Amino acid sequence: MSGINITELDKVYDSGTENVVAVESLSVDIDHGEFLVLVGPSGCGKSTTLRCLAGLEDATAGTIRFDGEDVTEYRASERDVAMVFQNYALYPHMTVRGNIGFGLKLSTKLTGDEIEAKVEDVAEMLGIRELLDEKPKALSGGQQQRVALGRAIVREPSVFLMDEPLSNLDAKLRSEMRTELQELQADLDVTTVYVTHDQTEAMAMGDRIAVMDGGVLQQVGSPEEVYRSPVNRFVADFIGSPSINLLTADVEDGTLAGPGGFAYELDGSEPVDGHERVSVGVRPEDIEVVESGRNAADVTVVEPMGNENFLYMEIGGHELTARVSPTVRPAEGSQVAFDFDEAALYLFDVETGDALKTKTDSVDSAVVGTTQN
Amino acid sequence: MRDQRRKDAVWRFLTYAFVITMVVVMMVPLYWMLVAATLPQEQFLQFPPRLIPGTAFLDNFAALQERLDFVRTIRNSVFIAVVYTLLSLVLCSMGGFAFAKYEFKYKEPIFYTILATLVLPIQLLVIPLFLLMAQLDWTNTFRAIILPWAANPIGIFLMRQNMKSIPDALLESARMDGATEFQIFYRIALPTMRSSLAALAIILFLFQWDLFLYPLVILESADMYTIPIGLAQLTGFQRIYYDQIMVAATLAIVPMVVLFLVLQKQFVSGILAGSLKE
Repeated sequence: MSGINITELDKVYDSGTENVVAVESLSVDIDHGEFLVLVGPSGCGKSTTLRCLAGLEDATAGTIRFDGEDVTEYRASERDVAMVFQNYALYPHMTVRGNIGFGLKLSTKLTGDEIEAKVEDVAEMLGIRELLDEKPKALSGGQQQRVALGRAIVREPSVFLMDEPLSNLDAKLRSEMRTELQELQADLDVTTVYVTHDQTEAMAMGDRIAVMDGGVLQQVGSPEEVYRSPVNRFVADFIGSPSINLLTADVEDGTLAGPGGFAYELDGSEPVDGHERVSVGVRPEDIEVVESGRNAADVTVVEPMGNENFLYMEIGGHELTARVSPTVRPAEGSQVAFDFDEAALYLFDVETGDALKTKTDSVDSAVVGTTQN
Repeated sequence: MRDQRRKDAVWRFLTYAFVITMVVVMMVPLYWMLVAATLPQEQFLQFPPRLIPGTAFLDNFAALQERLDFVRTIRNSVFIAVVYTLLSLVLCSMGGFAFAKYEFKYKEPIFYTILATLVLPIQLLVIPLFLLMAQLDWTNTFRAIILPWAANPIGIFLMRQNMKSIPDALLESARMDGATEFQIFYRIALPTMRSSLAALAIILFLFQWDLFLYPLVILESADMYTIPIGLAQLTGFQRIYYDQIMVAATLAIVPMVVLFLVLQKQFVSGILAGSLKE
């Protein structure tokens, strides 16, 4: 087990004619046994960061430390890390037994019997013992996934790296494996860095989430922190499903005036002082449909989810999404009035996207209790 | 409906007729070779030709053996072809792996230079190679036959194309598992390339087995002859020993047939590699 310190990591690809910056001065400290999720849209540099941690890519600048030891120049095999790949990368010509034992055979001095015992233990733990003599081709996606995990676990590395390991599974299996992976990680207590583009997965699994965009780390924090107090518009937009409603509004005497006659009077205007225009953000679950109110929108689509309804509405050409109780079911094409608490409001600088105000509504402390370690 | 059925029947008839014709065209010379190998010279030349196998095979072989020591000639050919095939498989797969999976300076120019050597016909290379071998004092040796062709451009090209299909993640995974680059090559890359290697083995073996002009120039003494050169010796100035030629030709194809039967399954899937989504 070890903590990870990444300091000012740069990764630049030299394509001959131009330099492509994949990761730019990324610094983050990851605690012992922590489950950190790197999340962001494709091309944001999250996989590159992971590959730098693995030693599969050389860092252009910066240092990577495992447990205080500088491993930046170490090769992958010297770093005591194990990686689970998106497509599992199982050796097709070896049995499950051979796949799981391969790393031990090469990098340890264990005898054949000792390796065998370890492989059996891990297979038992993952429930794939009866598959040990099969070739990967004969396994289902979920089983292959388990073998890939087993291959990582059996080496008892100090760090697990996972590159979208669940993205090739179907939805049901994915959520099952999600839970299983979390339990496994908690049991083994191994520092884990997990890359995904799926913010739901990130929210569900991470002790902390690191949101990246354009090679730059935007924010690191607990899922609630990132959700409730995003540092900028990108993070607010990326985290949350369905995503946050964003519109641009003019500031007039402490009142926000947006498209389609949208108007919202602020009690406290400090966040917007000195701004003529701001980006306004409201989470879909914070929008309430009311009898009558100042703002109204046209309902375009109603999606009943069973336990809740999604309302897709339009105001001045802008789309708004609301998550409401299943009893609220306005007719499509009708106009409804809506409102929200000022405490639930997000405000961002129009140009820089920096957060001016985030959620200030109180949350039951039991819900916020984030720390698992 | 009925017209369609008739059309189908005609089409099928034509297809079969074509296939059968092609089979006959290919099999008749082969059959004639086998039959002729069992006939004494007089019967070979009679008209109409005798198409039923005779009993003179062993006599013909004994005559051949006496003239040429054909057993030794076969042994020479097998030795050269086997050593060449093994050596070339190693070199071509290593070269192909490097070109497919590593980045290095001038990779593309080097690769295309290697590929460009394919346009040089053997006939063009025979004299410079002979001069080189003479300077090395390697004439009349097997190594002079084997080494110049060992890094075969077709082989390197074929292995590069096939090795490109190995997912990078597989190699990286092995790297993380602590494998050295050479272990990655022979424990991960080579085993996944079995069918391509089998196909290449047949191509390389056949290339060396059929090589005529170059060994003819290099090999001077009869005890070093390979089969194609041995065959050429049977065409004398006064007499052509058809019976012996046919025996020798029959024996010459045996190792090829054996090799192909052994590797057939892999060969076919190697030729088809990458053409189907798995």
